[in-house]
Amino acid sequence: MNEIKLKGVVPEIFASRNDLVSDIWNTDVVIERGKTYLIEAASGTGKSSMCSYLYGQRGDYRGTILFDNEDVSTFSINRWCDIRQQNISILFQDLRLFGELTALENVEIKNRITHHRSLEQIKAWFDELGISDKLDARIDRMSYGQQQRVALIRALCQPYDFILLDEPISHLDDRNSDIMRDIILREAKASGAAVIATSIGKHMNIEYDKILRL
Amino acid sequence: MRLIWKLLRKHISIFELAVFFVANLIGMAVILAGVQIYNDFSPMLSGEKSLIGNDYMIISRPVERVGVNAPKFTAEDIEELSEEAWVEDLGVFSASQFRVDGSIVFNGRRLSTMMFFEAVPDNFVDVDTEDWHFSPGDDIIPIVLPRNYLNLYNFGFSQTQDLPKITEDMIKRVELGLRIKGNGYSDDYKGYVVGFSDRLNTILVPMSFMEWANGYYSNETNNEATRLILEVQNPSAPEVVSFMEEHGYVAEDKPSESSKALFMLQVCVAVIVGIGAIFSLLSIIILTLSIYLLLQKNINKLENLVLVGYKPMYVAMPYILMTVILNVSIMVISIVAAALVQNVYMDYLGKLFGVTLESSPMASIVAGVILTVVVTLFNFYIIYRKIAQISRKRC
Repeated sequence: MNEIKLKGVVPEIFASRNDLVSDIWNTDVVIERGKTYLIEAASGTGKSSMCSYLYGQRGDYRGTILFDNEDVSTFSINRWCDIRQQNISILFQDLRLFGELTALENVEIKNRITHHRSLEQIKAWFDELGISDKLDARIDRMSYGQQQRVALIRALCQPYDFILLDEPISHLDDRNSDIMRDIILREAKASGAAVIATSIGKHMNIEYDKILRL
Repeated sequence: MRLIWKLLRKHISIFELAVFFVANLIGMAVILAGVQIYNDFSPMLSGEKSLIGNDYMIISRPVERVGVNAPKFTAEDIEELSEEAWVEDLGVFSASQFRVDGSIVFNGRRLSTMMFFEAVPDNFVDVDTEDWHFSPGDDIIPIVLPRNYLNLYNFGFSQTQDLPKITEDMIKRVELGLRIKGNGYSDDYKGYVVGFSDRLNTILVPMSFMEWANGYYSNETNNEATRLILEVQNPSAPEVVSFMEEHGYVAEDKPSESSKALFMLQVCVAVIVGIGAIFSLLSIIILTLSIYLLLQKNINKLENLVLVGYKPMYVAMPYILMTVILNVSIMVISIVAAALVQNVYMDYLGKLFGVTLESSPMASIVAGVILTVVVTLFNFYIIYRKIAQISRKRC
């Protein structure tokens, strides 16, 4: 997949508003593979909604979203599952980890359908992100910042053309944010993928190709 | 699958599944036993191997005075009868019009007696044997005896006289000397008993023999029918009873007993199967509710799995496998239970009628497999539909 086009997309809930000033809603935007994007937004402007639309999780919008000129509203649930395994990866704002599984199991649950990463690679990331002692800890016993790092590792355990990062460093200190940024940029570059990060203020320190305001 | 199961087994209620298991087991076992009972009993009451009787009536006119020739059915009577809608088929009893002397050699002594024969069209004869044929020139005449003659001897006469019991096979091996005289001829034949009838209370020979012999050994052409055999759907139907009364005909048997028994059997089986079906239905409702509740409790995990990239079918699989294992176990136990019930009543029937009954649990196996497939497909449908709904809930 090479590009994502948004044509006149607006959440249904905003459709009746005339005072909308946005680089994304109600206009045409192209997101290209290989570039980095920052979507800046104030709270409540539909940042997570946009991620949900691009990930096929929600469909409550007007306008058209095209993946390589194919209208995503026609995709079946199984097609979306294929895209979620092969083309688009996501780090959810609310993480969506499984509380009763360990940190490693949460990563493995993704890697088992994609078979994309070796156990050594996964453990190396745990190590790099400073949570190697938490491999076998239950995720619901870990701090939110630690969980955020596990969720990132899970997001990397698949091939992707676009990686969506919904407030990826909201609970990280600067040091860990930089480590995370380095890993993301390294992996995205390796697979030629686009990075789309959202932020309500604090954002990763990257030379973004494009900054869009919601 | 191990991780998925670890996630999804949470909230599975062993109690709810146990209630479903027990209720559906009872329901299915009862249904299968009912089907098996119907399958085993119904041919005995209605088919060729009738134990009690069947839907044939043998009718005659009552003898009113001594010394008068037996009252006969005229061609018009027969015509009228065969036009009645309730008469499926009609056969005329044909009596021998020649003299028959029968003899057997018993303990070196020759015992002989005068005999008579009757014949009915072959399709009314409830004995299925290849030996039931005769062509002019043959010197062997096949004979069918009423089974109650043998019973009368075995259970009445031999019992009181301390004589040995005779089996059907023993009688079939005895050669009967037959001398037939009439129209200036006298010939010797060999007679063999080839079978026993539950339906026809007379000494039967094949119609082909009777027609030939009556022409050859007798000059009488006036061979009018004294008895008729009718095949009817239900001998106790009002139109049958009123026709018989109107015309003053009498039925020799009490064939209506069999149709009453068959009706009772159908009612009993319907009640049994109905109770089983209610049990099964309730158990399926319990399982459905239980699955819905389970899916509802695990809704976030199910949704997250689909968001991680698992297809709804894959996510549904642990629950589907769970119901398949439950349903197949229930089926196997139910089939065994129905087979045990079958053994009990077959033994009992065997003793009651003094025969060995062949039985196969095939009916309950077929019914069990069909029911299990239907229930499992239904489970599959509701599980998959619910998970697909969860996956698409916001799309």
